[in-house]
Amino acid sequence: MSRPPRDFRLLEGTVIDHLPVGTAARALELLGLPRDGPITVGINVLSPRRGKKDIIRVEGLFLEKHELDRLALLGPDITVSIVHDGEVTEKTVLDVPERLIGILTCRNPTCVTNGESIQTVFLRLSGFPYRFQCAYCERVSGVGEVS
Amino acid sequence: MADVPDAAQAFRGRSVVSADDFSKEEVLALLDAARAYDPVQRGDAPLPPSLQGRVLGLLFFEPSTRTRLSFESAMLRLGGSVLGFSDARQSSFSKGESLVDTIRVVEGYCDAIVLRHPREGAARLAAEVAGIPILNGGDGSNQHPTQTMLDLYTIREAAGALDGLRVGFMGDLRYGRTVHSLASALLHFDVDLCFIGPENLQLPSDLRDTLKAAGRLGSEVELLSDAGALDVLYMTRIQQERFPDPMDYERVRNAYRVDRAALEPFGPDLKVLHPLPRVNEVATDVDDLPGALYFQQTRNGVTVRMALLDLILGGAS
Repeated sequence: MSRPPRDFRLLEGTVIDHLPVGTAARALELLGLPRDGPITVGINVLSPRRGKKDIIRVEGLFLEKHELDRLALLGPDITVSIVHDGEVTEKTVLDVPERLIGILTCRNPTCVTNGESIQTVFLRLSGFPYRFQCAYCERVSGVGEVS
Repeated sequence: MADVPDAAQAFRGRSVVSADDFSKEEVLALLDAARAYDPVQRGDAPLPPSLQGRVLGLLFFEPSTRTRLSFESAMLRLGGSVLGFSDARQSSFSKGESLVDTIRVVEGYCDAIVLRHPREGAARLAAEVAGIPILNGGDGSNQHPTQTMLDLYTIREAAGALDGLRVGFMGDLRYGRTVHSLASALLHFDVDLCFIGPENLQLPSDLRDTLKAAGRLGSEVELLSDAGALDVLYMTRIQQERFPDPMDYERVRNAYRVDRAALEPFGPDLKVLHPLPRVNEVATDVDDLPGALYFQQTRNGVTVRMALLDLILGGAS
């Protein structure tokens, strides 16, 4: 879809909103952005609900389930809105699944997942900040300790 | 064989990967069932060969004396047979075969597999891919559930009950998997816990958090003399390789050694357990005390593993 230069309105794509402050760069990295479409990033944007937030708008991007699962790890209540023809058609509040399959890597070097060609499985423990238990070696890690 | 329908139902065809996978009722059902296999309880009466014609695979990728031999003894005493290896170099692992492939091959040769492997989570993975029960004989520093079952059996038989006890763990609290599994299993019971160890070998943070969340962390002290009254003292070996500085090891090695004189203040009813092997942490003059249970523990290993195998493989039903 063509548009005039300097027009930053999102016509077809995704808005990732309510990112905790300081996580926008990590979100771009997690999603392998930028790709083709234009991206607008807001950092330390004022938010009536939580004071400040980060926000990302990506033209032409529609996220897959595994990408949403990854994104959800960055914080609670991140919202993802799908935009068509300039209108929000779908809005989802992300939640970290109770079972994360093939998304995280166990940092325990002697975990069997680091020796065999298998998918990792992590169980999310209750509470925030998120903590995850490797279903194999049973080690509990914070978000920063699992990649 | 013993009439243990609940235990038979709970265990038949089931893998034993982690002590945490079993409820209090299931643990108690196993401990009750094990009495029927206890040579003392049955007055050495012969047991029927309930597992005749059944084969147990023993895949030991790491060295073991007690676990491997007691499983072997348990299976043979029930009329079954064993096959396997006790050194990874004797297996296709040394040719680069994956654990998953090894399990898929060996499950065709036997009715259940006991697995000891250096990687944490190996038994969980094996249980996922195998169509037969997997019994975890130790996965790295993670779990050793049959050791936990025999520890619980030993304590209960000696003390008469598990509830109402004060249990002290002494030595390597950080890396000792038997400590982690037993402490976690004791959360099922009304037991006070006390942890005695050097500052750098305290409980790992996740177990500490679990105990704390359950309101059962109890006391953590560096010296046995600060532990207060104890009914059970569970000793572990402090491994020199855990200390980057050999001087640090020298400083603590004798502080976590008990002899008859050190145990005197706890009275004659104190039960002393140790998963063995010991180096010098329990002096040999303790061996003759009535509460020195560590060799009884190894005998109970056969008893409990007989019960487990018979229940899992259907001989007890």
